[in-house]
Amino acid sequence: MRRHYIIVGILVIVVSILIYVGLDSAGLMPVEASAQAIDVDWMWNLEVIAMSFLFALIVVPLVYSLIVFRRRKGDTTDAEHMEGNTRLEVTWTIVPLFLVVVYAYLGAINLASTQRADPEAMVVRVTGLQWDWSFEYLPVNGVTVVSKELHLPVDKQVLLRMTSNDVIHSFWVPEFRLKQDLVPGRITQLRITPILEGNYKVRCAELCGTSHAFMEKPVIVESQEEFDAWFDSALDEAITASQTPEGRGQALVAANGCGACHSINGAPGIGPTWFALIGRTERLTDGSTVVVDEEYVHESIKAPQAKIVAGFENQLMPTYGFTEEQIADIIAYIKTLR
Amino acid sequence: MRNISPVWKGLLLLVVAGAIGYGIGLGLDALISGSINTSGPVGAAFALLFAVTAFFFGVYGYRGITRGLVYQVIGTLVGALLITGLRALMGLDNIFGVYFFSEPAWVLGGVVGAVSFLFGVGVVHDWMQWVRGIDTPEHHADEPGWQKYFDVSLDHKVIGIQYTITALVLIAIGGTFAMIFRTELAASQLQFLTTTFKLFNQTGPQIYNSLMSLHGIIMIISILLGISGIMNYAVPFLVGAQDMAFPRLNAFAYWVSVPASVLLLMSLVLGGFDTGWTGYPPLSARAPVGMQMFFLGVFTAGWSSILGALNVIATVVRMRTKGMTAMRLPILVWASVATSIIALTATQLIGLSFQLVMFQRLLGMPFFDAAKGGNPVLFQHLFWFYSHPAVYVFVLPGLGVISELLPVFVRKPLFGYRWVAMSSLGIALVGFTVWAHHMFTSGMNEYLRVPFMYSTLLVAVPTGVKFFSWVATLWGGKIETPTPMLFVLGAIIVFLMGGLTGPPNAAIALDLHLHDTYWVVGHFHDTIFGGFVFPFFAAIYYWFPKATGRRMNEFWGKVHFWMMTPSFFVLTLGMMVIGLRGMRRRIVDYDPALGFDLIQLIMTIGGYLIALSVLIFFINLIYSIKHGEKAEGNLWNSRSPEWQVPSPMPVHNYDVPFEVVGEPYDYGLKDSKYIEFTPNGKKHIEFETEPEVQPHRH
Amino acid sequence: MGTMVHTHDNKSMLSQGILIFIYLAILTGLEFFVAVTFDSVPLLIVVALVKAALVIYYYMHVYKLSLESEVDDASYDYKAATNRLGLWLFLISDTFVFAGLMVMRINLLGLSRPELNQFLGLGVTAVLLISSFFMNRGETLMRNGDRQGFLNNTAITFVLGLGFLLGVVFVEWRLAIHEGLTPSSSTAGAAFFMMTGMHAFHVFTGLILLAIVWINGRRGHYDVKNYPVEAAAVYWHFVDVVWIFFYPALYLIGTAVH
Repeated sequence: MRRHYIIVGILVIVVSILIYVGLDSAGLMPVEASAQAIDVDWMWNLEVIAMSFLFALIVVPLVYSLIVFRRRKGDTTDAEHMEGNTRLEVTWTIVPLFLVVVYAYLGAINLASTQRADPEAMVVRVTGLQWDWSFEYLPVNGVTVVSKELHLPVDKQVLLRMTSNDVIHSFWVPEFRLKQDLVPGRITQLRITPILEGNYKVRCAELCGTSHAFMEKPVIVESQEEFDAWFDSALDEAITASQTPEGRGQALVAANGCGACHSINGAPGIGPTWFALIGRTERLTDGSTVVVDEEYVHESIKAPQAKIVAGFENQLMPTYGFTEEQIADIIAYIKTLR
Repeated sequence: MRNISPVWKGLLLLVVAGAIGYGIGLGLDALISGSINTSGPVGAAFALLFAVTAFFFGVYGYRGITRGLVYQVIGTLVGALLITGLRALMGLDNIFGVYFFSEPAWVLGGVVGAVSFLFGVGVVHDWMQWVRGIDTPEHHADEPGWQKYFDVSLDHKVIGIQYTITALVLIAIGGTFAMIFRTELAASQLQFLTTTFKLFNQTGPQIYNSLMSLHGIIMIISILLGISGIMNYAVPFLVGAQDMAFPRLNAFAYWVSVPASVLLLMSLVLGGFDTGWTGYPPLSARAPVGMQMFFLGVFTAGWSSILGALNVIATVVRMRTKGMTAMRLPILVWASVATSIIALTATQLIGLSFQLVMFQRLLGMPFFDAAKGGNPVLFQHLFWFYSHPAVYVFVLPGLGVISELLPVFVRKPLFGYRWVAMSSLGIALVGFTVWAHHMFTSGMNEYLRVPFMYSTLLVAVPTGVKFFSWVATLWGGKIETPTPMLFVLGAIIVFLMGGLTGPPNAAIALDLHLHDTYWVVGHFHDTIFGGFVFPFFAAIYYWFPKATGRRMNEFWGKVHFWMMTPSFFVLTLGMMVIGLRGMRRRIVDYDPALGFDLIQLIMTIGGYLIALSVLIFFINLIYSIKHGEKAEGNLWNSRSPEWQVPSPMPVHNYDVPFEVVGEPYDYGLKDSKYIEFTPNGKKHIEFETEPEVQPHRH
Repeated sequence: MGTMVHTHDNKSMLSQGILIFIYLAILTGLEFFVAVTFDSVPLLIVVALVKAALVIYYYMHVYKLSLESEVDDASYDYKAATNRLGLWLFLISDTFVFAGLMVMRINLLGLSRPELNQFLGLGVTAVLLISSFFMNRGETLMRNGDRQGFLNNTAITFVLGLGFLLGVVFVEWRLAIHEGLTPSSSTAGAAFFMMTGMHAFHVFTGLILLAIVWINGRRGHYDVKNYPVEAAAVYWHFVDVVWIFFYPALYLIGTAVH
């Protein structure tokens, strides 16, 4: 029997190492594009060590038993009677218990290091909506830059203050590792320090309805200079746009993600297209027809369920709390789409 | 018609009645909306109800399950018309809805339909007699042959098999759904579930979401029914009882699951639901009517689980034979008790959380509506308080089957019996304290996260005890590997993979990366296959001779195993790899730039091979019922009491009662006995002699 | 009655019932007093726990679960003991529904509560408590073989229970809606209607059970096989225990919000 123990012991060690090296060299994680990713991958590495060892610890003796202790042909006797061994049982309860405490402790430390806050962090407000993202930078002289792309300067912590307009979404850039839900009615936070310039994508990770799979937007990590240049031009655009009703309307439409359902170029979507909307004749679900005018659009924004265009019965548009002026701005913008 | 086999008759009627129902549905829809919508939900809803009912009518005639389904259809219509009438009287604008009936009408229809089913099938008949002060015989005699499985039976073995068959049917349905969306996922971009695709008022991505959500819940219900099948079939004869403690409640618990399954299928045609089986509000508060059918279906099936669990606990506490002390119980009984403790209590919380969303939708009660002060995260706490322990409900009986079968095929006692028995209870109890590890990203209070990491990792300790005991049992044995043992070994390795991929999810920061990705999908498919699917197949191959007196074909059983296991590894390892690299859960499509196309294609092929292997299993199962090799004795040379009497098992289990005189798993100990038949001993339940019992017809 | 072990004779059981009722009444008064004066949440919790413990022990006879029943497992007593275990398991399961509702209430409302008519609340609470007293009397009398006493007391219980149900649904709910507290008005409204609604549903099912045992009792059942009476009584007291917690949670704790 001693011979078996020694062979299995050696095999367990060899197989653990092989599995670990295999998993490690497979490069299972995406690139580390944030400081937090380094922390997360450190924990991942510890887990891979534990997984490799424990897998070998169970599977090696199991497979070994299947080969060595298999029933020989013609043998009909039972095996040697062996009920248990209390010392062994205590050992394999206490040792895992100890390991669990150690791993949980390491996990807590690891969590703390991913949450380290930089008081200088740049704040970006993130809004999730079905099925779009909107990024709002802190206002400069009363003008706010609202972007459909998340531009971030490299090596500077960003504090994302996030909320949702409708259902729960989740902010996830795999290269940054960390993930945080966006919950209607509350503000959740996520701190990320990008360390690698490049183009990534934020993807919604919490099922949010029909087009959940397509709720993604670019995340661009760039040098401080490039970021400043982008921000300045975006700010200029925002200032120009805020002067006209169409511009304000366009900004509102972008900020509220209307484009996720209503195309502006005539393409079919979840909701009716806005291309050449005013003056169009639409058939409604109750069979009547309506010529779309400003009043109809106004009503459809205020009470989306009142008159639904046929073919869109199953798509529930949420109600938005726009003011009268905002609705006028949006209609002014829609009018420009011809 | 008379010479046609019942199955063909059923299928023929299924097609005919489906077509008639479809026509009626289309006509009604056209009356209300003024246009014919061939891919609409109303025609499909009627077609579904008519077709299912007609199938059973063809197979079995107008009694038992058929009458239940007819009652359910009528009840659904009555309930729906009642609300529709009330709405008309109240002068509301929208008496009818997109799905023909309005949402409240469908909800009441669903409730009345489910209750009507129970009256129709006759499972409440005896209770109604008692209410009227009339006694009924302790047991009804069942019809001989296969017919008894289509009607109410009070025999735990019949009910156990009914559960198992229903579970297998649901596995087939849920698996088919999986095949549909796995095919769509084989390559990036939308192939056939496109935005222009229309079915039941849903576009391709919406159908994808509905199928994916239904795959989840149908598999969960099938697991609950499957474990009930194992527990109902095995627990009474393992403890030496003639039946469960409450035979009528037992039948009720089973039959409740049939209307529940119909409701779940109705949800697909009534607009589906795009929330996943988790049904998080606010999304579930705005999904189509199918959402309500889903809630009702889960709620109804939940009662099956609760009442079944109650029965198991009462049976084990009250019905054990003489000498069956706690530390001499078969290990599967311990596992069943541990499972039942969770199912009895925690299940109420998923029912409650779904009810709250139902009422939010019906009456505008703002439990989870942030605009009115509600809290969406509260739902997740209530939901996961059941739905995490639920995974222990799913796997504990399976782990019990592993521990129960290992000693038989190793010819050696289970190593550390007491520790294994207590580890089941340990997992169940620790399981109550870990739910919020599903919510590390949810925005819940941050101070809750670390304690939940500790409690979650703690589950590894009792689970580890089981693994070490299994390996120690194998060590130094004389191992045989017939099909049931192959599935036991497969279960150990697959469940090990599931177990080991769990702790990374508990490490909070790492979970913030892994949460809601295919890593998690791979992880839980491993735990469920290892903890339920493999042991379930092992149990079927193992106890099939006990139920039928014949054994399943060994060769095709081994083909089943050797085809399913590697394919399953390909599928789940693939899931985990793409999950780590950025594949989110529950998406109809993925960015081609991620480069997942090849691996997804391989996974899809793996999925098809699993389906093929399960098809082989089904054919083997059905064929072996009549044509399998005879096996009426102690086929596996087991010490367990049920194998000491001939197969198939006699109606009231043990004609001669037995006493427990030794340890259950003392293989290899000379002259040791587990049980001894005591011809003069007391039977547990006095049965009326058979001829006096009135047949169960009313 | 077979060999069921009695720890108390029936006469002392009846006087014990009265004593427990007096305790419950005093504690309810104390609750109300605490709420209108210095509003101490811990004290209210302690009082509710004591009240529940009194009902569970003296009215629901939880100790019967651990009584040794007859060895003859085909006997009525053995089966009744099995049924008793089944019922208690069901009640444990049901408790999780109400506990879940309580968690919902605490999470959504915290230390605030819906604005409700205090005297109406105290009134329906008193009615339910008194009904429990008569239920206990009825059950004890039936075991004593006094059929008429059982019928009378059960009838009183039924009427009081119906009074409670109508008081909540037709008076309290109407009043609340009239005052602007509706199911959809706020989380306070949602919590109030959901909790009282779920409880009222249980009261309703309890009334059905009472009606069944009353009718069958009139037909002459339950001389020997009287477990159904005990079951209906235990269920009725359970509904009372739930209200022992819901009453302070909805009417007494914290400050009222509209």
